[in-house]
Amino acid sequence: MTEPLLSIRDLKVEFNTRYGSVTALNGIDLDLHADKTLGIVGESGCGKSITALATMGLIPDPPGHIAEGRIVFDGEDITRADARRLRKLRGADISMIFQEPMTSLNPVFAVGDQIAEAIMLHQSTGRAAADRMAVELLNTVGIPDPEQRAQSYPHQLSGGMRQRVMIAIAISCRPRILIADEPTTALDVTVQAQIFDLMRDIQQQSGVAIMLITHDMGAIAEMADQVAVMYAGQIVESGTADAILDNPLHPYTRGLIGCIPVIGKQAERNGRMPQLAEIPGIVPPLHLLGQGCAFADRCPLAFDRCRAESPILKGDTHRVACFATGVQRA
Amino acid sequence: MTEEILLDVRALSVRFGMPRKSLLGRRPMLHAVRDVSFSLRSGRTLGLVGESGSGKTTAAMAAIRLVAAQAGSVLFDGLDLLKLDAEAMRRCRRHLQVIFQDPYSSLNPRERVGAIVREPLDLMMPDSSRPDRESRVSELFGQVGLRPDQMALFPHQFSGGQRQRVSIARALATKPKLIVCDEPVSALDVAIQAQILNLLRRLQDDCGLSYLFISHDLGVVQFICDDIAVMYLGQIVEFADRSTLFSRPRHPYTSALLSAAPSLARRKSAGYVRRGAVKGDPPSPLNVPAGCAFASRCPRVQPKCLEDRPVLRTSAQGSVACHYPLD
Repeated sequence: MTEPLLSIRDLKVEFNTRYGSVTALNGIDLDLHADKTLGIVGESGCGKSITALATMGLIPDPPGHIAEGRIVFDGEDITRADARRLRKLRGADISMIFQEPMTSLNPVFAVGDQIAEAIMLHQSTGRAAADRMAVELLNTVGIPDPEQRAQSYPHQLSGGMRQRVMIAIAISCRPRILIADEPTTALDVTVQAQIFDLMRDIQQQSGVAIMLITHDMGAIAEMADQVAVMYAGQIVESGTADAILDNPLHPYTRGLIGCIPVIGKQAERNGRMPQLAEIPGIVPPLHLLGQGCAFADRCPLAFDRCRAESPILKGDTHRVACFATGVQRA
Repeated sequence: MTEEILLDVRALSVRFGMPRKSLLGRRPMLHAVRDVSFSLRSGRTLGLVGESGSGKTTAAMAAIRLVAAQAGSVLFDGLDLLKLDAEAMRRCRRHLQVIFQDPYSSLNPRERVGAIVREPLDLMMPDSSRPDRESRVSELFGQVGLRPDQMALFPHQFSGGQRQRVSIARALATKPKLIVCDEPVSALDVAIQAQILNLLRRLQDDCGLSYLFISHDLGVVQFICDDIAVMYLGQIVEFADRSTLFSRPRHPYTSALLSAAPSLARRKSAGYVRRGAVKGDPPSPLNVPAGCAFASRCPRVQPKCLEDRPVLRTSAQGSVACHYPLD
């Protein structure tokens, strides 16, 4: 396999909270390749978004900071890059789409101006050229009447159109990495499908590497090449999308797949759908994590060792951090 | 399984007056629900599916008179709810309960959850003694998977899934016949979603409940609903039982919804390309098109669709409002 475009090694992020120092990310390893999509999946509070923010150099400091580890982008260690360097990277080489398109656009500027702003910040173009490029970008992301729409304000657009504008801003400087943090959670299904199709088209044309953060295994199936499953600030399983979906090893991954009512997944029995699998309990608050596997309290396979020591990610291409499945497979 | 009809909604219409554009101008009307009819069998679940703005919540809320309807009739257990006077309607409310979407805003933050669950009993069953009501609350907590010692806590001390359990306990308190579930799991994490869906179905079996289930998530709908009404811009465009709707959708909109919904079977690795995706957004309900409401986004649109509004036609496979339905 070729050299990854972005490589995260042993990343540890800590936050100072009223409960003391809390480890939000604990030893994350990730590789992102050009032209590929990496899906990061898990429940809320698992550290998915913190991983994205750390990659962008956007961890709010204080209260948070990167305690250990390296983030290497195209051969350059950006973990401790200064603010100027990061500002050059963000929006140009690495850009991000957020979950809520209403709150991430400025309500008092026309959307065309907001796209032009990003272009002028990173490229030596004049105002008129930037405006022209903004209209072209609106056309690229599939907005009808781009000339008129460029004059519209965010509140005049539907949720799907706003997310298209966000994508237009994100791709305006031809980034090499696009981080999408739950980009379709606030949208209707038909619009979600449009946004996913658009993201796939953009990847095919530009070869951008996409980091897709989601809680939706269906989105993973449709979009991702590689998958990392996160739980309580750690990656508990990683591998190709097919390996994770067809042969999940970690009990948490199995639970996540089993508990979603997905169309066409189950056959009907006696005229009704079979019971959904349940993961009992909730994600534990990070300040209450003790020693041992963070998932042990909710795990159907947990045994003594799981509560005593923390499993590490093992394996070649399909990696899993679990004693119980390791025992089964050995 | 009984086939008795519990709730029969006929030709229900809801309009909202919008602010005038000018002082003497006409008040624009938003037609949120247009001529909607459906029926719910006792002990079953009817799903109302559609995108935001399709009128699914308004239709359900108008059916239980939480939103005023302009036209139509609602027969509930033989009573026309829309014709009842205020006191008769109030008495009837014990049989009609609601579980709301957001477990954070639907519980009073200043009240203990035990009191929240007891309130419907205080209002609807004032003849019963206080200890009886307390013991009923404690029984309800057990039914929904909470511990009776949690009755003294406040809503903020619970997680989202637990709060939704409190909401469910409150809805069950007066032993209702019908519960309107308004997107009860869409604010929850996937793992919690499964717990609540399983709980809702178990309670249906135990208490003989009927659900009017509002959702935009076809996976959830397929799991819990027996019959499904697909809504688009205030109208029902297709009505069918679950297996028919999911295996042979007839309205192009239903088919588009199914092809847009996430599925584990659609793999990027296998070169998946979506077919039958719809473009754009739904038209505004302030300005409903003359022909079929879906015509502007329909991949199979014909000239007739732009002029002539299709009506819901019933056949052996259910009902569909389309001039050129899929086979």
